Amino acid sequence: MADHAAHALEPNPTARAFCLTSAFWFAVATTAGLWAAGYLIAPDFMANIAYLQFGRLRPIHVNLVLFGFVTPGLLAAAFYYVPRLTRTELFSQRLGVLTAWLWNLTVTVGIVSLSLGFSQGREYAELVWPVDMLVVLVFALVGVNLIMTVHRRREPVLYVSIWYVFAAVVLTALTYALGNVIWRPDTGALLGIPDAILLWFYGHNIFGLLLTPLSLGVAYYVIPIVTRNPLYSHTLSLLGFWSLLVVYTHIGTHHLLQVPVPTWLKVVAIVDSIAMVIPVMAFLINIWYTARGKLGEIHADIAGKFIFTGTIWYFFVSIQGSVMALPQVQRITHFNNWTVGHAHIGVLGFAGMIALGGMYFILPKLSGKPLYSRFLADLQYWLVLIGITGFLVILTTVGLIQGNAWFNGETVYRVLPEIHLYYVLRLSAGLAILSGAYIGLYNMVRTLFFNPGVQA
Amino acid sequence: MIQRMTPTAVILGAVAILSAVVFVVIIWPNTTVDMTPSEIFRERTAEEAAGRKLYIANGCVYCHSQSIRAFDWGHGATRIAQAGDYVQDEPILLGSARTGVDLSQEGGEHPDDWHMAHFINPRWTRPNSIMPPFEHLGMENLRLLTRYIQSLGMQAADKRMQRQAFWKQASTKAYEAGIEANVRWLSETVPQGWRDIPTPYAASDYSLARGRMIYQGFCIGCHGPVGDGMGDAQPHIYPPPLNFTILKGRGISGGLIYYQVMNGITGTAMPYFKKELESQKIWDVGNFIAAYFIDELDANGPPRGIDAAYEP
Repeated sequence: MADHAAHALEPNPTARAFCLTSAFWFAVATTAGLWAAGYLIAPDFMANIAYLQFGRLRPIHVNLVLFGFVTPGLLAAAFYYVPRLTRTELFSQRLGVLTAWLWNLTVTVGIVSLSLGFSQGREYAELVWPVDMLVVLVFALVGVNLIMTVHRRREPVLYVSIWYVFAAVVLTALTYALGNVIWRPDTGALLGIPDAILLWFYGHNIFGLLLTPLSLGVAYYVIPIVTRNPLYSHTLSLLGFWSLLVVYTHIGTHHLLQVPVPTWLKVVAIVDSIAMVIPVMAFLINIWYTARGKLGEIHADIAGKFIFTGTIWYFFVSIQGSVMALPQVQRITHFNNWTVGHAHIGVLGFAGMIALGGMYFILPKLSGKPLYSRFLADLQYWLVLIGITGFLVILTTVGLIQGNAWFNGETVYRVLPEIHLYYVLRLSAGLAILSGAYIGLYNMVRTLFFNPGVQA
Repeated sequence: MIQRMTPTAVILGAVAILSAVVFVVIIWPNTTVDMTPSEIFRERTAEEAAGRKLYIANGCVYCHSQSIRAFDWGHGATRIAQAGDYVQDEPILLGSARTGVDLSQEGGEHPDDWHMAHFINPRWTRPNSIMPPFEHLGMENLRLLTRYIQSLGMQAADKRMQRQAFWKQASTKAYEAGIEANVRWLSETVPQGWRDIPTPYAASDYSLARGRMIYQGFCIGCHGPVGDGMGDAQPHIYPPPLNFTILKGRGISGGLIYYQVMNGITGTAMPYFKKELESQKIWDVGNFIAAYFIDELDANGPPRGIDAAYEP
């Protein structure tokens, strides 16, 4: 295991490029999110701008968060730790930097096409066929670079983080191609109910086979280093890894419990949603026992702080997700803001927090200097944490209002005035997250480019 | 054991698991899902298909579900979705949120002109709506979108559209025959029993205050702030919204107003509100209209039943 040496310069332009990619798109993505949240409060403000209206901003926000902010942030850490853990150099920095440029091109083309109305209308699979091809290509390039790095390793044992990166990159390239139905370029969809089943298989795998394994990989790498404790259990890491792949892939149909899909498939999805407790707790017990007695060290290290907080959100979002898969619960929580809250604490609270932590972990090593400002990093931590906690409380509350009102026979229209205030509160919480994103971007750029700190 | 986790084992193991799961949860159900069209199924016309493309391009699916659940009865549902309803949908547009209403059976709920006014600015027909205005799409695109929306529900929607067309003709004829004839038509289409009853509750300050709130949330977009039928939606609707101020002395009872608010006037842009407004709210808004716009109240007048317990 690599030690936590103080800021020895480790040139890694690939990791650096992915850090900047993530920080930049985080700022853009939260801006889009805030803008969209504004429309829910004042739909006639800045209205009738075709490329900015809510129906186009919403997929832009979601795709930017997934493919602009969180995934590149987690990959930045992977591009750093895979060579470290295998005691070798990255296979090709040139390919890595090229991949980062292609990645940004893909994201840019993706959001421009969405803003112009080119969409396949399937959640998380909106991007049209040419952009799909670019996405599969960049995942393949990431995969080639990392697999070739591992191929040339000087360390025989593969650490658990590397398993997760491999699984994430290879399986996402496959499920992305499958979920976007790339053999039907015109619509990128199947016909009828099978389309819904495939879409939510894929949609859930974006979390289960991309964000989750990449996040767990970063946590498995950083937490033992920050706490200077060996990993608690390799058996648990094996159990967690394989059970994640088996269980997570089965549960997509829990998005369709009230839709005419085969009942046995719903049963599979519900049972496996509950079984998600196994991979989740295998990981959490492992990480939390690794950190046992070392909360002081975690608190002192900004990366450890972000990542450990991310694991707590992982606990919460996973248990919440299992409970939401119960049909009786879902009668109330489906179709409303409860689910929006769930998605935000999963993607930002868990994966986003860990992505930020991973970046703060590697930034001083990439620049050979300490972080530009620990204060700003702490400020970002609190802004994001307060924002996302606010989101959970506000959106869960408004979701319960909507779900119970509907279940009580009230129409959607009747409930609108009742929830207006919560949309205002949600915008305020979003403002905290937005500020955090811009402060983080500033801090990261200053750390890499205009850093007055002394080189070690 | 940890030494056995070679790159090959990790990658092949992961891909093997994924393949097995894809077989179980994707391929197997795909071969067993019943793709028989349901009893209301019909194919989309070219214009409806073009409207559906606009629906997708503009992200309507993010706020509108097309998926009526078994327990949406309380929500006013008239039909639970079946697999056979979706057999021409590529992609299927079930949606994941009801920021707006479910549209599975929207076809024929309103006439076309209501939809045009609503697309240009949703607040013109639905004052509390938070839907974006879509005027920027242009009238031709809005017409195509309307064709698609009116097709939702397929054969069931077609029946509702026929009803809309029939009553549109009748209501237009009545409107064009002048005020006297129009008011007579509006009255005579209400069953006599309803026309005979006055509002059973007094037009108290509370009743009028409640009625005012309801009017602002449901009626003001068409009938306007002074009840003269000159709301924002008026230029787009034909026959135009009723001018309440002409009704004095024409024998408009509380029961008649109640019936028209409850049941709507199919064929015109006047929707039915019984799904959204409970009995007391309808009586209250009727009192408000009668007191402020018609200036002729029959509230609590004869024939009277037993006064309700709360009445002063």
